Amino acid sequence: MDAISITVNGKPQSVEVTPDTPLLWVLRDTLGLTGTKFGCGMALCGACTVHVDGEATRSCTTKISAVAGRNITTIEGLSPHRRHPVQAVWLDAQVAQCGYCQVGMIMTTAALLAKNPKPSDADIDDVLGGHICRCGTYQRIRAAVHEAATKHTPQLTPAGETR
Amino acid sequence: MSAGAGKRARVSRRDFLKAGAAGSASLVIGFYWGGPAQAGATADAAKDFEPNAYIEIHASGEIRVIAARSEMGQGVRTSLTMILAEELDADWSKIKVEQAVATSEMKYGDMTTGGSESVRSSWDPLRKAGATARDMLVTAAAETWGVPASECSAIGGSVVEHKKSSRRLWYGVLAEKAMALPVPKDVPLKEAKDYRIIGTVKPRVDGGAIVVGEAHYGIDTKVPGMLYAVVARPPVFGGRVKKFDAEKAQAVPGVKKVVEVPAVEMTPLFGEERPANSGHQHYLWGGVAVVADSTWQAIAGRKVLSIDWDPGAGAEESSENQRAACAEMVKRPGKELRKIGDPLKAFDGAAKKIEAEYELPFVAHTTMEPPNCTAHVRDGKCEVWAPTQNSGGMATALASALGIPASAITIHITLLGGGFGRRLNVDYGVEAALISKAADAPVKVIWTREDDVRHDFYRPMSHHRLRAGVDAQNQVTAWMQHIAAPTTDGVYVGGDLPDMGGTEVAGTGLPGGVVPNYLLETSFLHTRVPRGYWRGVDPTWNNFVVQSFIDEIAAATGKDPLDLRRELIATKAKPEAGSGDQPPVDVARLRHVLDLAAEKSGWGTPLPKGRGRGVAAIAGWGTYLTYVAEVTVANDGGIKVDRVVCAIDCGQTINPDMVKSQVEGGIVFGLTAALFDEITIAGGQTQQSNFNNYPMMRINDMPRVEIHIVPSHEPPGGCGEPPVPSIAPAVANAIFAATGKRLRRLPFQTGELVKA
Repeated sequence: MDAISITVNGKPQSVEVTPDTPLLWVLRDTLGLTGTKFGCGMALCGACTVHVDGEATRSCTTKISAVAGRNITTIEGLSPHRRHPVQAVWLDAQVAQCGYCQVGMIMTTAALLAKNPKPSDADIDDVLGGHICRCGTYQRIRAAVHEAATKHTPQLTPAGETR
Repeated sequence: MSAGAGKRARVSRRDFLKAGAAGSASLVIGFYWGGPAQAGATADAAKDFEPNAYIEIHASGEIRVIAARSEMGQGVRTSLTMILAEELDADWSKIKVEQAVATSEMKYGDMTTGGSESVRSSWDPLRKAGATARDMLVTAAAETWGVPASECSAIGGSVVEHKKSSRRLWYGVLAEKAMALPVPKDVPLKEAKDYRIIGTVKPRVDGGAIVVGEAHYGIDTKVPGMLYAVVARPPVFGGRVKKFDAEKAQAVPGVKKVVEVPAVEMTPLFGEERPANSGHQHYLWGGVAVVADSTWQAIAGRKVLSIDWDPGAGAEESSENQRAACAEMVKRPGKELRKIGDPLKAFDGAAKKIEAEYELPFVAHTTMEPPNCTAHVRDGKCEVWAPTQNSGGMATALASALGIPASAITIHITLLGGGFGRRLNVDYGVEAALISKAADAPVKVIWTREDDVRHDFYRPMSHHRLRAGVDAQNQVTAWMQHIAAPTTDGVYVGGDLPDMGGTEVAGTGLPGGVVPNYLLETSFLHTRVPRGYWRGVDPTWNNFVVQSFIDEIAAATGKDPLDLRRELIATKAKPEAGSGDQPPVDVARLRHVLDLAAEKSGWGTPLPKGRGRGVAAIAGWGTYLTYVAEVTVANDGGIKVDRVVCAIDCGQTINPDMVKSQVEGGIVFGLTAALFDEITIAGGQTQQSNFNNYPMMRINDMPRVEIHIVPSHEPPGGCGEPPVPSIAPAVANAIFAATGKRLRRLPFQTGELVKA
């Protein structure tokens, strides 16, 4: 096993795992970043979503070898002050029930708003339709995304810092 | 936990409350917090008990509640804190809720979280405990000032006031003095009009941790030296490992051990002692575990395991056979469970006869956090970290499987990434402990989604034959329901036939008590497919059937579906809930939610072509709920649920926003099953495996949901389960209104709706 270098939440990391190891398990088991969740292992539910160079990416089906040298952002690094606008509206709208899937929802929404500051319902369906919430918080998620879109500036980067 | 250091004298259940000390300068109120088994019961009144819940009021002003209920998204930590803060007149922001650790040293009795019971069974004990502590703090303040206690009062925000002298004292400084006081008996509770906290919207106490990824679920457990494991389980229910070859798996980097997991029989229990359903058995079917340095290595090792399975007799089973067997059984008389009048005679002599058969499949829980458990078995002791709804049952099963006393077991209850009844089962905990023991290390066992879907305890499949007779005056005079199904709890291994008069008939009571001639029959389907409690439980089948059939009668008699419901419950007959653990039905409250939903939904107003409106209602778990659903049916048979209007009377609401969350979630849970989900069996195996072939409702399927809560000061009803059952029949009835086609099988077979 050769060491593979990645940058996670701005910090360079070198991990010794087999190249086919999914990024998800490197984050969770190797680096101890358990905010990113395992839900299906097949990119069907979105619970494992992280940002790879700003793109919302399913970490459960992304081999570590495919992201060598890339910048990974997880929920732990989404905002330096733990108060990304998406996190703030999520709290205001009391979206979460069990909360397990919400981290993935928040990561996808942050990436969406960075590209598309005023998403339509169809835009929301398009990206968040890749996610599953078994507690059924969808109505609040939609409201929260619209709320986030009205609240923050369009210059937002995926990591929540203004350009 | 500091409460563990407190004095815990045994006190009589009659005393109910016990004061003691934890550390220094703290008032501790220990009290007995009944679980589902004890709710409302006074059994063993004279028996000694140990407090199983604690309130601690510290000199710092901090108030801690050691709560014995599992948080699985229903907001129980928040709602229980609100109930306590109300009677305690406490500073809401200073209350911290901690999850109790289950040990035999600190008994939590029945810690089961299920049956929509948490608020219902906590309502009285928590209010009494809060009021008692408040009374002691007021007395302590009065003594400090040398004034009569009757002149002092708690004014909220953890402050006692003596109005005459304009003096105030804060709970923190009173705690030590209050601790020395005798515990008063029968402190009066507040009247609802004086509530400051109950009934208001408060944010979830644990919401902040969730959005930053710091909420700690079972799967996030890490303990020193921990290894990771996945298990290859017998694909056929009832199968066994014949032999296996671990050589290739052992060669995978990181794989430490490959161990066989023995098959175990676990008597199903709620809490420590209440048998769930006699004659039933829960099986850990056994298998082969791959233990490694990481999850992925364990998964990689499992892929190359070579296992020779003995499939056993279960390999003969298939959904086809099961469905055919049920369809056959309902043609013959079943076991009579309830009979009123002479239903067969009334049916035979009816002016109009209506008959229909309905079918529902097995369905899985698929909690977003898959089953998992971390266990460390060493030196005759067992410590586990489990996302469980049933730590008491798990402790008992662990003790039995490991051959150690219950006193050697500690269970840390983590947050649950969804429960829905799956985590009332304790299989994954016993399995993890056996693997830890065999591997001689702390081990986290993770179930992949495929493991979860294929080895669940499924909501039972069922087949129903319904018959109704209508007389010459267009009145329903006979109603008969015959249910053919397996039982709900594990696998039946008892004598000839199990008792199906409990949960399996829940939700049948309403027509039962209001139609003059009634018959309820059951037939038992034997299967090795394990069954379990699934959010909404068996009313998810009976309510679908009953509420659909009422609409069929309405169509046959030319009556409006809502009017027929009003007519049925307007009779003088007393409806029965249909199950021993369901409270009696108050017809007036049911009528009110029907009327409210009708009004808010615009019932009776025209809709465009291709659209339809349907109604369904339920009374259960102490709650009354009506849905009116609006659907659009496309030419290709596609069903879009556009809007759902809900009227709910769940008694006194603790936190209206969380009631709404539960309704929104219940709609999604019920609708997911109605639109998509079916577990099918072939060759004794589950054919589905992941969200590609066991799909979930997603955001684009979400209807607009409008919720109207009836203001009420009746005791709180349940909120987790009541919103699930009625959504499927409301949508089925709306589909009929839109298309004239009656869909009697779940999930909806949309092929029947395709326009030629």
